[in-house]
Amino acid sequence: MTRGRFCLIARWLGLAGLVVSGSLLAMGTPPQKPARSVSEAGANAVMLKADELRAAPDAGANVLARVEKGARVRLLASQGGWRQISILGKTGWVRVLSLSADAQSSGAWSDLEALGKTPQGKVVAVAGARGLDEETLKTAVYSESELQFLHTFAMSRGEAEQFAQAAGLQARTLSYLDAPKQSEEPGAVNATSLLKGN
Amino acid sequence: MKRKLFWLSAVLLSVGLGVNSGQASDLEDMFKDVLKKKLAPPAQPTAPQQPVPPAQPVAPTPPVAVTQKPAEKPADQLLKALMGGKTSLEEETRIGQQIAGNLLGAAPLVRDDSLQRYVNRVGRWVALQTERPDLAWHFGVIESDDLNAFAAPGGYIFLTKGLYRKLKNEAELAGVLGHEIGHVIRKHHLKLLQKSQGIAALGGLLGGKLKNENEVVQNIIGNGAEVVARGLDKDAEYEADRIGVVLSARAGYDAYGLPAVLAEIGHVAKTDKSVSLLFKTHPLPEDRLGHLSDAVGDKLDALAEGQSGVGRFYRLR
Repeated sequence: MTRGRFCLIARWLGLAGLVVSGSLLAMGTPPQKPARSVSEAGANAVMLKADELRAAPDAGANVLARVEKGARVRLLASQGGWRQISILGKTGWVRVLSLSADAQSSGAWSDLEALGKTPQGKVVAVAGARGLDEETLKTAVYSESELQFLHTFAMSRGEAEQFAQAAGLQARTLSYLDAPKQSEEPGAVNATSLLKGN
Repeated sequence: MKRKLFWLSAVLLSVGLGVNSGQASDLEDMFKDVLKKKLAPPAQPTAPQQPVPPAQPVAPTPPVAVTQKPAEKPADQLLKALMGGKTSLEEETRIGQQIAGNLLGAAPLVRDDSLQRYVNRVGRWVALQTERPDLAWHFGVIESDDLNAFAAPGGYIFLTKGLYRKLKNEAELAGVLGHEIGHVIRKHHLKLLQKSQGIAALGGLLGGKLKNENEVVQNIIGNGAEVVARGLDKDAEYEADRIGVVLSARAGYDAYGLPAVLAEIGHVAKTDKSVSLLFKTHPLPEDRLGHLSDAVGDKLDALAEGQSGVGRFYRLR
């Protein structure tokens, strides 16, 4: 997805979030009803993608509703790969990866305000702060002593296994994940359906 | 024309340089290819996908170069191997060491032995879940307030102190390290170097400018540790994210540590200096989370909840 598009959606949400939130939760009623309700009180997360709101943190649990991408929800609890949220009086569980955390504060959605401006309240230069920009990296000079120092911390296979055993970390079998299908391009979503609610 | 002459002479030279082992055959093939293109009737007036000639004009002086025939063997082999896509483990490690040493020259290790040992324990355990468990893995936290992490071939992995400070538990650390481990096991940087620097490096070698292996390696990786600032393609980053999630889960951690870190980084203003390099070389956190979400789907549903390791997490002083 392009950043521009993302910003567009973000901007739109920012400006018209009040209007749209009602259409973001489809509960068997015809969607796209222009809504008048405000976004979830104390909302602190945004749906990164549409997901089903379930009665329990389990893929087999009853589906209570469908929450649309862009909906602002309130995070209540966390369990494994699931987050309990509330939106428009409904409480249920969605997959953690369907959520983008805290959209309200200086966050993922705030680049609009940040563009071209120094972010408010941010002190950019801190005494002693070290950046690692391209120029610094380009002109970096090899340090043999530092590399040797690094090597002194190496852990053997046995040491790592011992650590894991003491920590109660158990190795598990899990296949690598395939790349998602192109069609699921995030952000290319229902900008149009969101706009319809207007 | 001059350029053509250079390539032609480079080709002839390399054939003249002699083929001392099977390793050279890939190189030969490549040169045959170049030769074919050069000698073929000009179907298209220019060949835009020709490798870019070295940035600095290297005067090809055939007689001199020919006397270089018994040049540094390891250096020659390294180049040939890299260009043939058949880098040996030693060669990969050699390249990684140079990059790691350069990076450490710019940003030294945080002087906290317990921290470094801790990161190596966790990192090595995560790396043991890969198909390259016995690589000489090295992990380090480096002095920088930026939010970033780096990988170099051969198993060198670094994260900045700034990023470490953002982490809330061991599972998040495992996720970040898992992402970088992903770059190493899929040889993303090695492939990048093969694509972009090999030809220039070869030009330098044939020009007789490079004296020893160190110089050749440095020539391959470019200036300083700039290679780590060069972005990989998006797909490589998304792949490393998927690997990071899987490796943390395999290691017994909560699989969602890496996504949590991405969400956290997403909170930093895009214009903040601490993320400027990170965002220049990686897709934005929102996009990465979106891709992860699509890739994971329901595939982790059957997985029992892993550890967050919050109690063990080493906190910076």
